[in-house]
Amino acid sequence: MNFILEKQALPDLLQTWRANFDVYLPQNLERFTHFMPLAAEGVTVINEPHNTRIPPKALFLPMTETLVKFTRFGGYENAKHEIEPRIVFALRPCDAQAVQLLDTSFLQVKYSDPFWLERREKTITVALGCHEPCDNGFCTTVGYGPFNKADLDAMLTDLGDFYLVETFSEAAETCFNGFANASETICVQALEVQQRAHDQMPVAFETENLKEKLEQNFSSNYWDKVSLSCLGCGVCTFLCPTCFCFDIVDETQRRERVRNWDSCMFRTYSLEASGHNPRPSRVERTRQRLSHKYVYWLDQVNQIGCTGCGRCVRYCPVGLDIRSMLRQAQSLPFEVSHAS
Amino acid sequence: MPDIEAIKSEAKRLLSEGMVEVMLAFKAGETPLHPQPAFFRTPDDVDELVYSSLNQNNLATYLTRLPKESKVSMVVRGCENRSVNALVVEKQKSRDNLYLIGVPCEGILDWRKIVAKAGEAVKSVNESEQEVMVESRSGYYLVERKELLHDSCMRCSHPNPVSADILIGEPLAESDSNLAREAVEEFEALSVKERYAWFRKEAERCIRCYACREACPMCYCTECFVDHIEPRWTESGATPAGMQAWHIVRAFHQTGRCTSCGACERACPMDIKMTYLTEKLNHDMKEKYNFETGLDAQTKPPFATVTLDDKNRFMV
Repeated sequence: MNFILEKQALPDLLQTWRANFDVYLPQNLERFTHFMPLAAEGVTVINEPHNTRIPPKALFLPMTETLVKFTRFGGYENAKHEIEPRIVFALRPCDAQAVQLLDTSFLQVKYSDPFWLERREKTITVALGCHEPCDNGFCTTVGYGPFNKADLDAMLTDLGDFYLVETFSEAAETCFNGFANASETICVQALEVQQRAHDQMPVAFETENLKEKLEQNFSSNYWDKVSLSCLGCGVCTFLCPTCFCFDIVDETQRRERVRNWDSCMFRTYSLEASGHNPRPSRVERTRQRLSHKYVYWLDQVNQIGCTGCGRCVRYCPVGLDIRSMLRQAQSLPFEVSHAS
Repeated sequence: MPDIEAIKSEAKRLLSEGMVEVMLAFKAGETPLHPQPAFFRTPDDVDELVYSSLNQNNLATYLTRLPKESKVSMVVRGCENRSVNALVVEKQKSRDNLYLIGVPCEGILDWRKIVAKAGEAVKSVNESEQEVMVESRSGYYLVERKELLHDSCMRCSHPNPVSADILIGEPLAESDSNLAREAVEEFEALSVKERYAWFRKEAERCIRCYACREACPMCYCTECFVDHIEPRWTESGATPAGMQAWHIVRAFHQTGRCTSCGACERACPMDIKMTYLTEKLNHDMKEKYNFETGLDAQTKPPFATVTLDDKNRFMV
C-alpha cells in the first residue's frame, strides 16, 4: 500500500504509536544523532543527510547484555530481557539491509539467538530513504542503494511537504491506517526521486572479481601497505552496521555471563590462551576485516557483507578509507577460477 | 603556514643521504577533511607529503610502533615535539635516532566543526592565518580560523617545537598558559555531585573502542590494564562501572605525561570530552612540581622520580 504522510502530521503520528509501541528514532545526543526512545514531548524529527553514529544494530545486539545469571550453589538461570513491541523509525536503508545480513548469522536453521529473534519479531522498521546522497556512503557500489527495500516494513520518500509511505507488511499498514492513499502521479514522482538519488551515488570502486583478488592475494604486501597507518582501534568495526563479533565474559563479581561487542581489530580478539596470536599484527587484522566483508560473507551467504553506509570512512581517526583500499585491491593480480 | 617545499626538500635530503630510514608525516587522504599519516621511505615518496591544519593526529603515536633502533624523522608541531621528548625520557626511543623537522603550529582545525559550519560533502578547505575558506555541496563558507580550531588547540600555550633539529617557519608567539586553566576552572567550579554527573555524562557515552588509547603517543603499554584478564581490573562491558573505570584510570596514567595535544578527543567517535581531566592533572603538575611535560628530553615526570630525601619516607 502507498500512503501520503504530511510532514506536519508526523509528530502526532509518532505520539499515537507510543500508545502501543516503544518508538525509537534518531535524536540529538551531544553533537551527533543517536537512536533513542521517543519521549512524550519535544519531538524533533531529524533529517540529517547522513546516518546516526551508532548503527541501529545496537537495538538488536546491545553493546553489552547479560545472557545468564548465576545463582548460589552452582545454579544458573537464563537472563530475561523485557522487550516491548517497538517501531524503529527513520533508519536508513543501508542500516536496515545490514540487519537482514545479520539475520543470516543470528537466525540460522539449526541455531538461532533467542534475544536477537525476540527483538526482531517485536520490531517494525520504518525506513527513511536517502533522497540526498550522503558524503561517504557507497551503497550502490556494493549492490544496495539509497532506497533499497530489503527487509523493511515501510519506507518513506521525502517529497517536500509530505512523504510517500510504501508499506511492505500488514503490521506497517496498520501503523499508517487512516492516511490517504497516494495517487499514481505521486508514486511516479517518488520513483523519479528514488531513481535520481540512486544515480547520484558515485561508484566508489569496482566489485567485479574483487573477491578473487583479495582471496588470491592473501599473502601479498598489499595488506602491509593498506594497514600501515591503522591505529588498531575499534572505530570501524564498532560503528559498522554489519560487524557483529562479540566476546562472552563471566563477570564474576556480578555473577553474570555477559556478551560484549568485540572487534577483530583488537589484539586480544584473536589472542589464544596459550599466548599465541594467529593475527599478530594490524596487517592480519586489517586483512580479516576486509576479507570478512568482501570474501567470507560471499562464501557463506553470497552477499557482500558491507552495505556502504560510510561510517568507517567518516570516523576513522587516521582517515583510512575502505573505498581507496578496495580500489587499490583492484589492481592486484588474479586468475579466473573455473568453478564447476 | 610553513613553506611546504622547504619541508619536502629537507625530508628528501634526509632520506637520500641515508640519515633516516623513514619519514613520518601526512599525505592527502581520500577526502579533503582527512589527511592520512604516512610513512615515506624514499625521496620520491616525499612528493606525496602534505602539511595543513587538518592533520588531526599526533604522529608520535607511531614512534613506539616502529623498531626501536630505526632512524626516524618526523614533521613535528609543538605538542608532537613534546610527546617525542616525553617518549625519549621514558626510554622508548633514543634521541640520537630521531631527526625532528619542526613546524610552528597555528592549531588543528576540527573537521567536525567544519562540517557543522559548511555541511556535507566538503570539497576543499583553504586556510590563511586568520580565515578558512570551505567549499561544500551547499556553497562557499568563509569562517574565522578561531571558530574551527580544535578545543585543545584553542588552549595551546606552546605552539612551537621545543627541540627540533631544524625549524621551518617563523616561531609563533607563545600564549598564556592560563588558557588551559580556564577549561579546568569551569569543571572545578562545580560541586562534587555536579562534577560526578559531568564525568558520568561524558564517560558513559563510551563504546570502549579505545581510539583514544591508540591515538595517544603515551599509551604504548604492551598490554593495557583493560585487556588484562587475570586478574581482571575492570568490568569488561560497556557498563557504567566499566566505562568509568576506563576513563578515570586512562586519565590518571597520563599524569605528568600528557602534552595536551587533544589527539584522544579528536579520535573519539562519540565526541567524549577527556581533556578536562588531563588538563587538571597537567595543571596540578605545574602548580605543585613546576613541571610541564616534554619541555626537554631529560627531566623525568615527578611521579617517575624518587629521591632519598623524599619527605614520604615509605617510598624509599
